Amino acid sequence: MNAVEADSIVTRINGRTLHDGVSFSVPRGKIVALIGASGVGKSVLMRELIGLARPASGTVRVLGTDVWSAPEDELNVLRRRFGMMFQDGALFSSLTVAQNVATPLRERGGIPPQLIEPLVQLRIAFAGLPPEAAVRLPSELSGGMRKRAAVARALALEPELLFLDEPTSGLDPVTARGFDKRVRFLSDELGLTVFLVTHDLDTLLGIVDRAIVLAGGKVVAEGTVDELRRHDDPWLRSYFNPHGT
Amino acid sequence: MFLTVTEEDGRASLALSGDWNLARIGELDAALSAARLPAAPLTLDGSQLQTLDTSAALTLLLRVAAAGASIGGCVNLKPAHMRIIETVEAQAGVRPAVAPRAWGIVAGIGYAAVAFARLALAHLDFAGRAAAGVAQLVRHPGRWRWKETIAQLQHVCIEAIPVVALVSALIGTVLAYLFGLQAEKYGASIFVVDAVAIGSARELAPLLVAVIVAGRSGAAFTAQLGTMRLTEEIDALSTLGLSPLQVLVLPRVLALVASLPLLVFVGDVAAMTGAMLASGPLLGISPAVFIERLHSQLALRHVFIGLAKGAVFGATIALIGTRAGMTVGRDARSIGIATTSTVVRCIVAVIVLDAFFAVWLQQVRL
Repeated sequence: MNAVEADSIVTRINGRTLHDGVSFSVPRGKIVALIGASGVGKSVLMRELIGLARPASGTVRVLGTDVWSAPEDELNVLRRRFGMMFQDGALFSSLTVAQNVATPLRERGGIPPQLIEPLVQLRIAFAGLPPEAAVRLPSELSGGMRKRAAVARALALEPELLFLDEPTSGLDPVTARGFDKRVRFLSDELGLTVFLVTHDLDTLLGIVDRAIVLAGGKVVAEGTVDELRRHDDPWLRSYFNPHGT
Repeated sequence: MFLTVTEEDGRASLALSGDWNLARIGELDAALSAARLPAAPLTLDGSQLQTLDTSAALTLLLRVAAAGASIGGCVNLKPAHMRIIETVEAQAGVRPAVAPRAWGIVAGIGYAAVAFARLALAHLDFAGRAAAGVAQLVRHPGRWRWKETIAQLQHVCIEAIPVVALVSALIGTVLAYLFGLQAEKYGASIFVVDAVAIGSARELAPLLVAVIVAGRSGAAFTAQLGTMRLTEEIDALSTLGLSPLQVLVLPRVLALVASLPLLVFVGDVAAMTGAMLASGPLLGISPAVFIERLHSQLALRHVFIGLAKGAVFGATIALIGTRAGMTVGRDARSIGIATTSTVVRCIVAVIVLDAFFAVWLQQVRL
């Protein structure tokens, strides 16, 4: 069974067709990357998958629920089953990291209060943040730590599926690879399915099981990284060989 | 329901069953605390365990540790569940536990006093920088930001005229009515003109206008500059070699210093017009008599004192508002806090200054 199934998605923005029949699926337990040139609509597609932006037509099934025809109650149940990391974290700026992670746990209800703190600490440890970061405000964190804090918040409700928007953008290569390793760790150890939008070739080569290539409003290629390397799409060729040798 | 504890030949075993996940964490925790785990190494039996997530695993480990027990071994545990327990065990166990410090009342007063002194000093420092900036502008008039100043004048002065006129006219009417009721008893209705004219020119119009402007423009300055600071636009300006003080602060300060006297004048005229229109039907003072009396009784110095106070109030409001914006914290909530405190500080500062003026002008017999 697939964690995400997108079927012939069409998106129009201001009369311009951004996606013209995009279909793909994300198998459970895998790390799948969505790649493509800037402006091709990767982030918009991701927003459509998680129910933030409505496509003009097409269907999206996330964990078996049709995102764009399910009633609000069912959507709210679904929203607890996946986590989303926004590009710059989108942490609540007036709350500390620990309070950010605790927010979904508290709002969910039914969790004994004395368990919230250890659960928050576990999420923070899973995201690879040092425990002392818990008491800091987002404005006191570096970019890489903000992203990790956002992952910790996304992990709060034990999601089965994690969406990451540009997880390594703006990070130095060492921090970026550390972040990649964390994502791989979460996928391997917790069995998480991860769907990420990225530009980072090293992420792709390092941790991604499958990649989906978006170009000209369609999926032009899909497969393992090795399969994509042999693909003859011109954008892919220059992507894998950026210096033109 | 979720677990059974069995003890045989001194070997305790804990059999887990059902779904151990976040959705049932409350029941799990209750079951674990009710189970009376023996303080000995436990063998974990996972044959009946359907699902296990990290939250449930953490709850299990915490309760086992709290009971003084430990996990001695596992039987029939699915590899995936085993892994989750191992991962949680490896990642948990870190306790920073930073409790917020509780302050005593004396310490609280002390901190507040120091914070107030720092705030006063910071305002003085900012006023000094602004004054130095103005001095530089005098030496190099070419650096003067005309366009920005004119745009600010439009916002803080022209657009404020309707509300200032309306509020002042109503207050003038109310004053004429109140004074009229009293003065009529002594047959001294005509003194209403003196009271309204001197009162509004000297005290009421400057105060009223300052309060309106503090709410309109002081708050706007803080929100505008605060947002610019949040989006690092102010840093960008400095990096481009432009002084935020010259580009953002001084045009606003000068615009308010110029607008407040103008608005006070609008307030004066509106208040007296309101009083004049009310005294006709109320006290039988015709507009011609009102104006005649106004002319003979309202010394020009009262008007000028009002206008001068307006300029000082304008500078105060602009400095408080822009300083709060330039020093706002880098998160969304602090803009709200800074904007609120700007309005409060401006109004308090204006009233304190007004009281100071009242005493001082009395001493110099103006």
